[in-house]
Amino acid sequence: MASRLSRRRLATYIADGFVSGTPSKATLIEQLAGYLVESRRTKELGLIVRDIEYQLAEKGHLSATVTSAFDLGAQTLKTIEAYVKDTTSAEHISLTTLVDPDVLGGIKISLPGRENDQTIAHQLTVLKTRFKKV
Amino acid sequence: MTFLSQFAETAQTDTNLFSALGIDWRLLILQIVAFLILVAILGKFVYPWLMKQVDARQADIEAASTAAVQAQKLAQANQEKVAALLTEARKEAAEIVSTAKLESADMISVSEKRAQASAERIVAEAHDQLGKDIANARKQLHNDTLELVALATEKVVKAKLDKKADAELIETAVASSKAAK
Repeated sequence: MASRLSRRRLATYIADGFVSGTPSKATLIEQLAGYLVESRRTKELGLIVRDIEYQLAEKGHLSATVTSAFDLGAQTLKTIEAYVKDTTSAEHISLTTLVDPDVLGGIKISLPGRENDQTIAHQLTVLKTRFKKV
Repeated sequence: MTFLSQFAETAQTDTNLFSALGIDWRLLILQIVAFLILVAILGKFVYPWLMKQVDARQADIEAASTAAVQAQKLAQANQEKVAALLTEARKEAAEIVSTAKLESADMISVSEKRAQASAERIVAEAHDQLGKDIANARKQLHNDTLELVALATEKVVKAKLDKKADAELIETAVASSKAAK
């Protein structure tokens, strides 16, 4: 049985592999999956993915999730990418788009460790909660 | 006439007067003796007892009379005492009534003051409660208005916002974020 590795070491290993390109991403993912299954730590997968995103962000590879009510056009995506690059100083930006009609309009940019929510749904929630009198 | 003639004949025969009258003088003597014996026996045994009883009765009557007089005097005295007591009682009753009136007036005054204070307190509490209720109602109205505004905005945005407008909105949001930074 393999010795128990910390999440941080696992995340660092995977992030280094992603950045250097060796071994390949598929191999890294297989290794991580095999290790988690063997060590019965599959429940930690979400946390490990988050840690990997942190490690990647520290190395200049940022993965951002953009949530909007409609499909985003190329121009809009470029604008968002430029904005993210400008605010994080990351060299490589990877945007993942997500369409959620419940946000009504605007965008929500989720970055490792922080979130910039400028959706109409969020602003309405702020309106209802911040100005609500108790 | 026959009566007078008979009487004249009887006067002529004086010795036979008793017999003419139908009286037996021996029987008369015996009756006199018997009467004397009876008087003697009565005088010896009955009259003293009778007189004693009479005296006792007289004494009783006199005592009763005296007692009646005393009782009358006592009754009169008692009547006077009762009258005096009644007068005193009337005075005391009048004083008691007067005192009771004063006390009742005081009690009524105190009760009125308490009732007034209680009423003022109740009114003040009602005002406070009313103020709180109004404030709560305003808060509730404010919150309901917020909810309604949010809901209306949500409905309007859902109905009006299209892809193009959303893209413009996103551009504006990004620009404002950059400016805020």
